[in-house]
Amino acid sequence: MKAIFFAILFALGITAWNGVFIITEGQQALITQFGKIVGEPISQAGLYWKLPLVQDVRVFDKRILSWDGDPNQIPTKDKKYIIVDTTARWRITDPVLFAQTVQNENGVRARLDGILDGVTRDIISRHSLVEAVRNTNSILDRVKAKQELAENSAPRTEQDEALEVLEVEEEISGEIEAIQVGRERLSDAIHERARTELVSLGIDLIDVQLRRIAYEESVESKVFSRMISERQRIAEKIRSLGKAEEARIKGKMNKDLKEIESNAYRKSEEIRGRADAEAIAIYADSLGKNPEFYTFLRTLEAYKKSFADKGEMVLSTDSEFLGFLKRKQ
Amino acid sequence: MTSNDLEEQLREWREMIDKLKVTFQKLGGPLIFIVILAVIGSASSFYTIDVSEEGVITRFGRYHHTAPPGLHYKIPFGIDQVHKVASKRRLQEEFGFRTSGVSDGRSTYVSGRFADESLMLTGDLNVGDVTWILQYEISDPWKFLFHARDVQRNIRDVSLSIMRRVVGDRLVGDVLTVGRVEIADEAKRLTQEVLDRYDMGIRVVTINLQDVNPPESVKPAFNDVNAAKQQQEEAINVAEREYNRFVPEARGRADQLLSEADAYHINVVNRAKGDASRFRSIADEYRKAPEITRSRLYIETMEGVLAGMRRLTVVDERLQGVLPIFGSDSAALKKAEVQPR
Repeated sequence: MKAIFFAILFALGITAWNGVFIITEGQQALITQFGKIVGEPISQAGLYWKLPLVQDVRVFDKRILSWDGDPNQIPTKDKKYIIVDTTARWRITDPVLFAQTVQNENGVRARLDGILDGVTRDIISRHSLVEAVRNTNSILDRVKAKQELAENSAPRTEQDEALEVLEVEEEISGEIEAIQVGRERLSDAIHERARTELVSLGIDLIDVQLRRIAYEESVESKVFSRMISERQRIAEKIRSLGKAEEARIKGKMNKDLKEIESNAYRKSEEIRGRADAEAIAIYADSLGKNPEFYTFLRTLEAYKKSFADKGEMVLSTDSEFLGFLKRKQ
Repeated sequence: MTSNDLEEQLREWREMIDKLKVTFQKLGGPLIFIVILAVIGSASSFYTIDVSEEGVITRFGRYHHTAPPGLHYKIPFGIDQVHKVASKRRLQEEFGFRTSGVSDGRSTYVSGRFADESLMLTGDLNVGDVTWILQYEISDPWKFLFHARDVQRNIRDVSLSIMRRVVGDRLVGDVLTVGRVEIADEAKRLTQEVLDRYDMGIRVVTINLQDVNPPESVKPAFNDVNAAKQQQEEAINVAEREYNRFVPEARGRADQLLSEADAYHINVVNRAKGDASRFRSIADEYRKAPEITRSRLYIETMEGVLAGMRRLTVVDERLQGVLPIFGSDSAALKKAEVQPR
């Protein structure tokens, strides 16, 4: 009696200790019996039981897991060496398949590395660098809009135009070519291809993100020196444009000064000429009626003025003024 | 209290203990076990949730309910489990730099650069150095806990990727100058979009660009462009100053010249008119008695002229060579041939 009681107690203890298990939220599990999968996978959280000792529980994560790739050096189609750093998110959707093919997460890592690195390399190297850098062609639209704005904004001087052209040029310094695919669709392509390969592992690949795309170190320094020379070019252009503008203003100043002065001279001479002409006309009009008398009158006046000083005068006796003097003699 | 009372008291206690002893002996170990369990159970069945937190309670691993801040009770022995989530707190991720703490009310930063995070390619294949922060809140504690394993890392990965995508669609000039707000807004929108796809219970509150610079070694060249712009403006200003100094003055002088010409015009014409008018008057009177007027005018003039002379010499018309009279002062010699008409 006592033995039976202890046996039951022992059985209950074993069951409690080894037969009952909890699956928490975010977990899924398989029950195996000597390595063979028994029943359906458990995907709901809760309290479960299994045959103690005989059966095993294998727990897998149900949550989104992330995969972090090593940065890879990949040449693009246009022969530029870049470092591509990808990450991916995945989830175990078929624990049975997962358990069969890769056993556990450590097992899957190597497979993910292999597949994702390979696909990434494949797809990146089949496209040129801009496809991986830019997502859309909005940059071209923006450039176009800017150029149009520069063209349409009126009214303005030649100088403004030159400055605006420079501004646009300054901003659009590198090469801008239209893209066909774009960054997002590249990562989608990587995702699509890797996903189909991973389905057989019981894994759903949720997405692939191109986390980082950078120039390879030796390329980077070349890019930097290109950026520097580009800036220098722009700076010089700005300076020389400034000097040109300065010269233009100075030239305009000299021109304006000469124009103002000569115009004023011309106009004033015209006025004076007209004045003289008018005066001549007036004189001619009134004096012309009696020119002989005017000559007489004006001569007398000239005498008065010419002989005004206290000078000396010698008169000949045959002068008219002395006519009477002579006759009396 | 007397000593009797005390003894009485002690005896009562002793009796009580004796009774308890008997009871213990009757029930034995199980009671002690139950008491210990009860103590442990009650001690571990209360929990508090802080103001900034929410508690997600699972029973046998399964979601049961979400507890607000305060003191709560749960079933002990691992049946109920509490997962505290700081869902009310504004959390922040930093990219390209790290705040190490606060000293003297000022943030201190980890020295060293996180160029891997901040250097990125722009649409014109230049490189920009962009640092930013992302602030987020846990909008759904349950999803936050059970939909993804490493939520923080996912947020970082997505933000790094999205920021590059946004910057990759812009010119380096735009990124460095006018595009900041636009970039932050777009990055926030796209980041939220991707995180929603993961359904991790995260709400992006804001993305803020911090420093946006050209790469360190390129900086001087960028600064030089700015300096060149200043120089350009200065050169133009100097030239315009010169222009403004001389041209208005020249205009003034031109006006002066014209006014003077006008003055001349008025003067000459008026004088002519005056002269003409005077002549007409004289001529009118002259015509009435020409002979006598003519003589009178002549004589009066001569009178005036001769009266003003210091010395008057009259020589005979037949005299040849008057020079000796005046010595060498020949300039003063005026042989007047006064011939009235």
